[in-house]
Amino acid sequence: MSTPALELTGLKKSFGKAEIIRGINLSIGKAERHAIIGPNGAGKSTLFNLITARFAPTAGTVKLHGEDLAGLEPYQINRKGLSRSFQITNIFPAMTVFENVRCALLWSQGYKYSFWHLVNRKHDLTDEAEKILNQINLLGRRNLPAGTLSYAEQRALEIGITIAGGADVIMLDEPTAGMSNTETDYITDLILTVTAGKTLIMVEHDMSVVFGLADRISVLVYGEIIATGKPEEVRANARVQEAYLGAALEADH
Amino acid sequence: MTVSDPRIDPKGAREDEQITTDPSNPVERMRSGSMTLSLAPWVIAAVVLAFLPMVFTNNSTLTIMNQMSITIVFALAYNMLLGQGGMLSFGHAVYAGVGGFAAMHIMNMSDFFATIPLVVLPVFAGLFGMGLAMIVGSFSTRSAGTVFAMISLGVGELIAASSVIIVAFFGGEEGISGNRTYAQPFFGVEFLQQLEVYYLTAAWVVIAAALMYLWSRTPVGRMANAVRDNPERAEFLGYSARWVRFYSFVASGFFAGVSGGLFAINYEILTEENLNTASSGVILLVTFLGGVGYFFGPIIGAIAFTLLQTVLSLSTELWAFYAGVLFVATVMFFPGGLAGLIMMHVPVFKLGKSKTLIKPYLYTLLPAAIGLLGLAALVEMTFHFRHAATGDNEMTVFWMTFDSHALIPWLIAAAVTAIGLGIAKVTAPDLREAWSEANTAGGKS
Repeated sequence: MSTPALELTGLKKSFGKAEIIRGINLSIGKAERHAIIGPNGAGKSTLFNLITARFAPTAGTVKLHGEDLAGLEPYQINRKGLSRSFQITNIFPAMTVFENVRCALLWSQGYKYSFWHLVNRKHDLTDEAEKILNQINLLGRRNLPAGTLSYAEQRALEIGITIAGGADVIMLDEPTAGMSNTETDYITDLILTVTAGKTLIMVEHDMSVVFGLADRISVLVYGEIIATGKPEEVRANARVQEAYLGAALEADH
Repeated sequence: MTVSDPRIDPKGAREDEQITTDPSNPVERMRSGSMTLSLAPWVIAAVVLAFLPMVFTNNSTLTIMNQMSITIVFALAYNMLLGQGGMLSFGHAVYAGVGGFAAMHIMNMSDFFATIPLVVLPVFAGLFGMGLAMIVGSFSTRSAGTVFAMISLGVGELIAASSVIIVAFFGGEEGISGNRTYAQPFFGVEFLQQLEVYYLTAAWVVIAAALMYLWSRTPVGRMANAVRDNPERAEFLGYSARWVRFYSFVASGFFAGVSGGLFAINYEILTEENLNTASSGVILLVTFLGGVGYFFGPIIGAIAFTLLQTVLSLSTELWAFYAGVLFVATVMFFPGGLAGLIMMHVPVFKLGKSKTLIKPYLYTLLPAAIGLLGLAALVEMTFHFRHAATGDNEMTVFWMTFDSHALIPWLIAAAVTAIGLGIAKVTAPDLREAWSEANTAGGKS
């Protein structure tokens, strides 16, 4: 078996005495679409923050393509090909939509901290940014300040920013939270197209999105993964039924 | 481009998205024309600077203009931090000051100074400012916000204090003086005359401003904006917020040093005053007054403030008081500064409705100005009443001489103030209405 894209071993996180993540082992293969579900307060976002070094883990390791990420800063992890979005929309609201995407491209296009290139002169940057804008259907909003977009558009823009750098592991934290049904369908389709061929890890509450998108699902309850497997396996799992899914599925339908 | 149309409701979901712009070829349209358009202001500025001495010929005006240029470079450098990088520094004068002191020392190294033309001296000053910024920035840029502001204040105080201790470099109380004419003549020019110094300074202000503008268009300059707005997001795009801030800080230190070098060339003396906290405060004031949100804001701020400082200080001892009032008013009512005030009118011009504003402006702003002048007269009279020597009752305000202890002048000033501000208050709602009307597309124009 080839190296998994992301491998978590014995991952733990405590805030003071409260143990939020209580020993997680999880292996996510290349080009797999993996959803993490669980009730509120199960630690899904915390798990995301541990993987991306927003928080330091109390114990355990995170490996990206077999490489330990311990001690790395978020920007270093990003450079290794892991990119994420946030539960609360996290864009550059004062900049234009185009500028948002272009900033997301700079590092991966090799510009680093350059002060000898003029970004407006770099047609490769412009073309690439426009390509991504086209992909996320925001080309028409190109020159508007990102903060003036509708909520769904801002979420789409954040997905655009997340994928722009060409990362091969994409983590999305509740991409459809707070959206209407049509908006949810739109974002789901968008996620499917832009993450084609990439590893996708997402936290999601909307079960229709989860079962529509995911190759495999992990159920996180009180900081532990109680089940991992294909959607139908997870759906059939008795513990999951009991802990979470039954209620959620009922509420959903 | 149709995207600027304010009628488009940004929350209008996706039905209308195709009407905003032609998606087939926006890039090409952007590219064509943008170069000529962005070059124009620079050419105009250079031409104006070249011809200004023919309009204002006397030396004192040249000195004021040089002072403006120095302040422009410094304020633009400061805005690389404040406006573009979101870093509030309370001690930025030290980089200008240290650059200036270094320039003075180079002037005094007669052998070396004789081999370099004076025009390149600001580069050396800039390098010294940059060197100091590299040292301080290595720890101060770890975070923005309060931590950065406090470190900048601390370092500012520290260096200002050491200027009295390290006499060899800062020259103690007297400062360091030198002579710019010992430099290698530059195409025969020895910079004996004020006019020659003017052209040197003017050339430098254009070069420095252009370089700082170009900086804001580079990857690291763009990321400075990104880090300012959302450092965390920037980190998750592969950029270390700290390093982005560091590079901005170092570049800002360089141009601050250049402004210090220009100061050294102009005044041939640097003292502790050039780098103390008061000077750091002034540059914050200048930059904010001009407007931190636009690249040209600090330029306007520097011009306005220098005029205020030089012209107003000739006519009143209280000029700093008025500058302070103006600053507070800017912060409270026009946080975008003078540049923001100007740019507010761009949509009105685009809608072709600027004419509808002339009358309401006249009706409100003219009485307001008269009222404020009345208020200023009251302030001046109070100051004279309290501080003039006993028996010296005569004072002159706005070319009128009168007895500051008599009742009539007080009544007149109070009446002018009340009437002026009163009219402005009455007409203000009309202005507000005209303003919102002028900013609405369609309707009568």
